Amino acid sequence: MIYEPGPMGPDAVSGLVGPGRVSGVRGALRRRRSRLGDHAYSALRWAGAGLFGAVALGLLVGVGSDSSAALQHSGIGFIWSGTWNPAAGQYGAGILVVDTLLTTAVAMVLMVPIGLGTAIFLSELAPRWLSGPLSTLIGLLAAVPSIVVGLWGLLVLTPIFANQVEPFLASVPALGWLFRGEAYGPSILLASVVLAVMTLPTMVSLSRTAFGGVPVADREAALALGATRWQVVRRAVFPAARAGVSAAVTLAVGRALGESIAVAMVIGNRPAIPESLTTPGATLGSAIVNQFAEASPGLGTSSVIALGAVLLLLTVAVNAGGQALLRSGSGAPAHTAGALR
Amino acid sequence: MSVLIAPSRRELVRTAARRSLRRRQIVGRIVLGLCVLAVVAAVAPLVALVYFTISRGVGTLSWAFLTHAPTPPFIPGGGISTAITGTAEIVGLAIVLAIPTSLLAALFLFERSGKLAAALRFSADVLTGVPSIIIGIFAYAVLVLPLHQFSTLAAAFALAVLMLPIMIRADEEAMRTIALDLWEAGIALGARRGRVARSVILRGALPDLVTGNLLAIARAAGETAPLLFTLATPLAAMTLLIYTDGTQAFPSAQRTAWATALVLLSFVLLLSVAARLVAWSISRRAH
Amino acid sequence: MRAFRIDGRAHAPRALTSPRRVAGPLAVLAITVVAAGCGSTSASTTKRAAGSATPASANLLGAAYDTTTSAAVTLNGAGANSIEPFFETVFYQYNQKNPNTTVNYSPAGSSVGVTDIQQGTVAFGDSEIPMTASQLAAATGGTILQIPVDLGGVAISYNVPGLTKSIDLDGPTLAGIFDGSITNWDDPAIAGLNPGITLPNLAIKAVHRADSSGPGYDLDQYLIDTAPAWVTAIGTSTPSRTWPQASVGIGEQLNTGVATYISQTSGSIGFVEYGYALQNGFVNAAIKNSAGSYVAPTEKSIAAAGAQATSLSATDFNVVNEAGAGTYPIANFSWTLVYQKQSDSSTGIALGKLFDWVVTSGQQDAASLGYAPLPSNVVSLAQSTIRELEGSAGTPLFAS
Repeated sequence: MIYEPGPMGPDAVSGLVGPGRVSGVRGALRRRRSRLGDHAYSALRWAGAGLFGAVALGLLVGVGSDSSAALQHSGIGFIWSGTWNPAAGQYGAGILVVDTLLTTAVAMVLMVPIGLGTAIFLSELAPRWLSGPLSTLIGLLAAVPSIVVGLWGLLVLTPIFANQVEPFLASVPALGWLFRGEAYGPSILLASVVLAVMTLPTMVSLSRTAFGGVPVADREAALALGATRWQVVRRAVFPAARAGVSAAVTLAVGRALGESIAVAMVIGNRPAIPESLTTPGATLGSAIVNQFAEASPGLGTSSVIALGAVLLLLTVAVNAGGQALLRSGSGAPAHTAGALR
Repeated sequence: MSVLIAPSRRELVRTAARRSLRRRQIVGRIVLGLCVLAVVAAVAPLVALVYFTISRGVGTLSWAFLTHAPTPPFIPGGGISTAITGTAEIVGLAIVLAIPTSLLAALFLFERSGKLAAALRFSADVLTGVPSIIIGIFAYAVLVLPLHQFSTLAAAFALAVLMLPIMIRADEEAMRTIALDLWEAGIALGARRGRVARSVILRGALPDLVTGNLLAIARAAGETAPLLFTLATPLAAMTLLIYTDGTQAFPSAQRTAWATALVLLSFVLLLSVAARLVAWSISRRAH
Repeated sequence: MRAFRIDGRAHAPRALTSPRRVAGPLAVLAITVVAAGCGSTSASTTKRAAGSATPASANLLGAAYDTTTSAAVTLNGAGANSIEPFFETVFYQYNQKNPNTTVNYSPAGSSVGVTDIQQGTVAFGDSEIPMTASQLAAATGGTILQIPVDLGGVAISYNVPGLTKSIDLDGPTLAGIFDGSITNWDDPAIAGLNPGITLPNLAIKAVHRADSSGPGYDLDQYLIDTAPAWVTAIGTSTPSRTWPQASVGIGEQLNTGVATYISQTSGSIGFVEYGYALQNGFVNAAIKNSAGSYVAPTEKSIAAAGAQATSLSATDFNVVNEAGAGTYPIANFSWTLVYQKQSDSSTGIALGKLFDWVVTSGQQDAASLGYAPLPSNVVSLAQSTIRELEGSAGTPLFAS
């Protein structure tokens, strides 16, 4: 058999070479069977890819077309304007978008310092016997289903927030105005706390990967110059890991934007501009959870699906940005964001 | 260093260096303290979650609870067996739908280069972030509305759509850990491409494939939103049951919710731990 | 996930389980799972062929009542949250009597029930308010029959430390609480109605239904009837399923959400179906009725409201603020929605027998669950509506 190598690349190679050049009838038969087998395999591969492509396309097209009725009715201003009051025939996503962005922002303010500090501790400052088990523990938090976090938020956190935390926060001298008003319990603040708990593991694991990607030589160089451990982190590790950490934050934001069930359980379902962080609110996700099933077919359902379209646009944009940052940074596998959250 | 500094200034330099070191050490200690605080704040919710789930759920847990069908609120002897078997059915069917498709699609992405593969890869990356509630709406539109019924198939379809992009990317990354020359060697020996895929790629990547797929399954098993619009009754899945019972005011219903949450949490954590054990044991064997 | 590397040296194949050895068991597992998933009857309507046609004369209602059905049928229903304590109990009892009929009910709310029956994704829906003409017109499967199946009331429940007995509230005061003008429990308006009761200085946390609801509709109707300020504030005198003052207070999903909030939160007040208030042990307010008396919700006072519905029909269904000294002013009937034309006659017969049992023998536990038994004229209305069920050919399923 003569084997002639071709340019690199799996399919390019096999395209040129085929199943080897054996002469004669035996070779012809073997080649024919191989070619059929190859065709079958190739067809299977196309089937798999095609199925996935069809599903992806179907999802995007379906959401888009089902929301078209609502967008035709309300115009593109649907996204930023108006009130959400289906009974009065008012369909405007503006307040829901504001609340969604607000809960996510507050969740990030709470979560990023904690997540970053934890990642720094685990990857730079902790003794090895501690960092292994601790990071496993935090990774397990990623596996907790969102409904369980929502249950805990609803049954455990809500009374604590209504009776102790929110009144306390309202009395804090400098920041009290952020938390003024009736302490109902279910509120923007509570939803943000729940979101922070749920996005923390993503942040920690992706940040650790980013820190891990910094070459050891950089750290050693800093140490050789007389830096303390914190200075090593600040001067050598951080700058190199910036892309990875930004990716971590961005992906956490994407996750927080899309969370619906847990938020619906603790946010209080009030589609109005919140006066303070302790006011109830309503996000895009929570509105869909609560209103999809009972929306009147036609304009009602289409409007709820249009909310989904807005949410989809937001999360897709944020996630695409996060994935791009990941690739530009450490090149760590992006899928872990989905599986490990 | 003292060689380069004039003797008269040596003391000055030493003091300055000592002070700077002291300051930097203090800053380092402060930061360490803050980081420890951060870790405590990060771990505390997990500990609280697990504590409350166990303490409020374990009292209701019993063999009868797991094996009896539900009964109306004030009739004793009920359990969550329909929810457990329902979740198993839905997840099982979703696995059957998702794994072959994702493996084939991953092989497609791994073995081919070009614009189509790049576009599919990008869509998979982006689709991993689609909110699960939207996937539920999609399944409702595709399988519930046209057929005029809620069904486990629709629920399984929703979970499969959820898992597909995650599995595809995990599978492809797993395959990329195989050395390319092994693949080329297989093709050079005259084997059919499908045979090479089976014996070289899948076999070599099996540990990572298993890990990645198990993690995706664990995630799907814990989802509620996709099931909201596809199942006929909350008794058909554990996550839905937790949602419905947990939002009731009756203490008995809430206890059921906690116990179901405990069962679900144990199952999901077990899957995640199993996935990590596979990865760890394989990486130990390879070294 | 740790990356796994084959180092560059010549490497003997590792003794992993070969894919072939795994494939066999996996295939068996897959087939089993698929078979189980497809064969599952618990979540999909099983349509067995009806074999030989059951003669219509064997299916009788009323006096000649007989629960047995020949085919095993699973009925999926969805709808009002308010009727759930009642439905869950009677469906369970019915299944004990007739194991051939299994009923699943999803208490996701009246509007969900209406939407689902319009789309035909359930065998029956239930709504606390009958469907409007436009909703009936949007139904995809033809005419919908509306059967009254229970009589319930809307309790105004509160959780205030120290207030363990009912306080008196009237329309204008309730309107003030729910539109945010009365914000504290010791407000003079409340104190004026309750001399002799010490009201604490505690903020009022009003909770309403975030989704569309029957109780919300009823309370809206009551406030429209009794409080002119409410009509001015909401700008209409037509009651709505969606709570009109959604920006005041907290919105919770379903009776269950409202009840959970009330039980957890000190100072809260909200409206829930009386069945939920009873089972949660809530304290309920005594509401002023049209005769001027303050009446708390009980089985008797709700029954008194139902007794006034002498000409009940799906278009004349309002029993809010009825006459009578002992009448509870916020009450309503619950309406089951089924298609008149049933494409599968065994499903249709099962439906008819089920609800005939529900409106007759099934009412015996109503009182203990927080509902009142149906008055006899309503039972007759229900039975005559059930008799309108017909099979796919248009022939009635039940003899008259």
